[in-house]
Amino acid sequence: MSKFQEFKQSHWYGLAMLAVLTFVFWAFFKMLAPQTFGDLGKLQTYLKTALYYAVGGCGLYFICVMGPFDMSVGANIVLSSVLAVNMSERFGYAGLLIAPMISGVLVGLLNGLVYIKLRISSLIVTAGLSLVYEALSIFATNGKEAILAPQYRAFGDYPGNLVLALAAFFLCGFILKYTKIGTYTYAIGSNEVVAKNMGVNVDKYKVVAFVLCGFFVGVEAILTISYGTSMTSASNLASMSRNFPPLMGTFFGLAFKKYGHPVIAIVVGEFIIQLLFQGFVALGAPTTVQNIVTGVVLLAIVTMTIKPVKAVVVK
Amino acid sequence: MSKVLLHAEKIDKNFGVTHAIDHVTLDFYEGEVHALIGENGSGKSTFTSCLTGIYHKDTGTFSLNGKEVNAKDQVDGNYQGVAIIVQEIGTLSGLTVAENIFLGKEDEFTSFKVKHTKSMNKKAQELLDAYGFSYIKATDLIDKYNFEDRKLIEIVKATHFKPQVLVVDETTTALGEKGRKELFKVMKQTKDDGRCVIFISHDLDEVLEQSDNISVLRDGVLIDTVKADNVNTDDLKKLMVGREMSNNYYRTDYDEKVSDEVVLKGEHLTVPGEIEDFDIELHKGEIIGIGGLSECGMHEVGKALFGASYDREGSVTLADGTKINDIKTAIDHSIAYASKDRDNESLVINDTIQDNICLPSLEDIKKNHILHAKDEKAFAEKYAKQMSTKMEGVHQFMSALSGGNKQKVVLARWIGKDSDIIILDSPTRGIDVKVKADIYQMMDSMRKRGKSIIMISEEISELLGMADRIIIMKDGRQNGEFKRSANLKDTDLIAKMV
Repeated sequence: MSKFQEFKQSHWYGLAMLAVLTFVFWAFFKMLAPQTFGDLGKLQTYLKTALYYAVGGCGLYFICVMGPFDMSVGANIVLSSVLAVNMSERFGYAGLLIAPMISGVLVGLLNGLVYIKLRISSLIVTAGLSLVYEALSIFATNGKEAILAPQYRAFGDYPGNLVLALAAFFLCGFILKYTKIGTYTYAIGSNEVVAKNMGVNVDKYKVVAFVLCGFFVGVEAILTISYGTSMTSASNLASMSRNFPPLMGTFFGLAFKKYGHPVIAIVVGEFIIQLLFQGFVALGAPTTVQNIVTGVVLLAIVTMTIKPVKAVVVK
Repeated sequence: MSKVLLHAEKIDKNFGVTHAIDHVTLDFYEGEVHALIGENGSGKSTFTSCLTGIYHKDTGTFSLNGKEVNAKDQVDGNYQGVAIIVQEIGTLSGLTVAENIFLGKEDEFTSFKVKHTKSMNKKAQELLDAYGFSYIKATDLIDKYNFEDRKLIEIVKATHFKPQVLVVDETTTALGEKGRKELFKVMKQTKDDGRCVIFISHDLDEVLEQSDNISVLRDGVLIDTVKADNVNTDDLKKLMVGREMSNNYYRTDYDEKVSDEVVLKGEHLTVPGEIEDFDIELHKGEIIGIGGLSECGMHEVGKALFGASYDREGSVTLADGTKINDIKTAIDHSIAYASKDRDNESLVINDTIQDNICLPSLEDIKKNHILHAKDEKAFAEKYAKQMSTKMEGVHQFMSALSGGNKQKVVLARWIGKDSDIIILDSPTRGIDVKVKADIYQMMDSMRKRGKSIIMISEEISELLGMADRIIIMKDGRQNGEFKRSANLKDTDLIAKMV
């Protein structure tokens, strides 16, 4: 194997690719809109948004690697955010931090238990339960907008948001690399039957993955409400659109999994997506065009990275 | 006589109405390689699966050194002193080599719920080095390694903790020369240490060579246990099948003239990294054998001719001038293909026998554009029975069938389709002697009816016994061609393979 081939299989190659992609997109928009795009201050703003989506993306990664899917992320964010507001009014920062984490974990636990007990598609289970979580968010707010009091908004800006997000990223990376949960997540995703034969309690670890997803989405909710300062309860699956921004980072994580740095890929991936969105905003492109180009670029990057084996069956 | 190491007492296992193992009582001794043989579906793998925790027995007990073994799963089995190396791939993509070796045993490297990845990697690398596989790196993702290397990693995984009983379940069919050598080395070490190997293989010569004692199962019942020194392959075949088997189940004709009519012509076939500039002409009623070492590219030839190869260059042309560039055209023009990778490429494993047999023939079965379940069932039953498939009925799921019966379904499908050109890749891989004889008979009968067959095989005796012409491949290229002859020897073919 040549040195270059060896390098291409190393984790450094994955990191280099992420760095190059980031630079290319930044340079592209910077050239087209030098005044309105990409100075240091703006980059910090893009990162701010990328950070909280990436935290949710870390949670989704546990589920997507195994094979199932979670369509209740948006509803979880809404419910956890309004509970964070409610609890912060009673318990201050403790309420703001703990309530959404607990609510996220409970949402994940319910998702996981219903999924393994009913043995039906995770898509159907989590979409169905989203309606329940949305309804709960309405009960929690009486249908009114929940506004986070100004004295509890430390996690909406630097350095609070960065500290919380970094803690979440380290936790995610640690679980993946230094606990059985990480190993079993990949093992179940690779071949559930073989994993079962090796003594892995597949159902248990699927529930654990949903719980972890819920937990990280709970943390995302803290960052979301702190940054956005208000949240309206949702109904009729209006929360669905919140599923996709964290998912985009997860795609990057999955694509760069083989280089051994999924968490970094999720964070950088979200940042690249933000560069794209903000780049188009800077250019004054209509939202529809932004969405088309962002979708195409996302697919292109993931395809380029994965390089699917010819003839392989992809579902 | 050595001491009994493992005692199996009245082991019984049912799958639905199938009585897979019928109260088998058997002893395995210290320092012994004990072979289990029998036809496909005779219960060999089910028996060892019950021992190692892959299946759970219905009744009976296994005792290892007098202590009951009741494995919940493979890892639990490992802790109780038994391990298994399976035929198909048993490692998991997405995990490192070290994670695969210690999958399910992470607790050995965990304290306060934290896994010490570094010490796990170090230990795995020490094991790989000790086995002589230093080129395999414990920290690498296992996806980086080929099938054979992954099998070697599995050997390390199953044996590093020195299990008292090591089951080797038809593993050799999946291995090349190097892998077999390593496996036999491990088996010998296990035996020399006073432990025991339960060896399952359809290769009776290999069984006689490697084993001390041989137990024969038939329809889940233990027929006999014999000493390897006291029997030959014919004795074993007789015990397996329950009647005298003809000594030679291959073709006996050597001077039949093959038709001049060319039915399929492949020219300058190239698949990057697999085959290069390969030419072939198949005549009506001819059996062409393609052989070589496992990685010589021969398996890709079957795909290339069937239009299933990607990036194929060159042409495949039928007698009427039709170009075969895709699978649909191939099937529409009466070409059939049975892949070596039966479970993944030939069968819809989670579907019924009926659906698998009917799949390519639905156009022929339907009446007035409508498929009638009754017709499909009748069609499937006709061809499944013609191939003597051992089944509960055509409604049975493929996943419940043994390897040999799965192969019968694959063949039944193409007989049902009445294809004129049949490409069979490793048609008797992992198949017992009786089914082998059935398959050879079927091929001979098809040939006589003017069907043309390309048989890709790693078994030299099969090539010599069945083919009118043998093409030997090496490094993706044609390296020799032999006409059928009684004087042709295996050494002639081997000389062109290596």
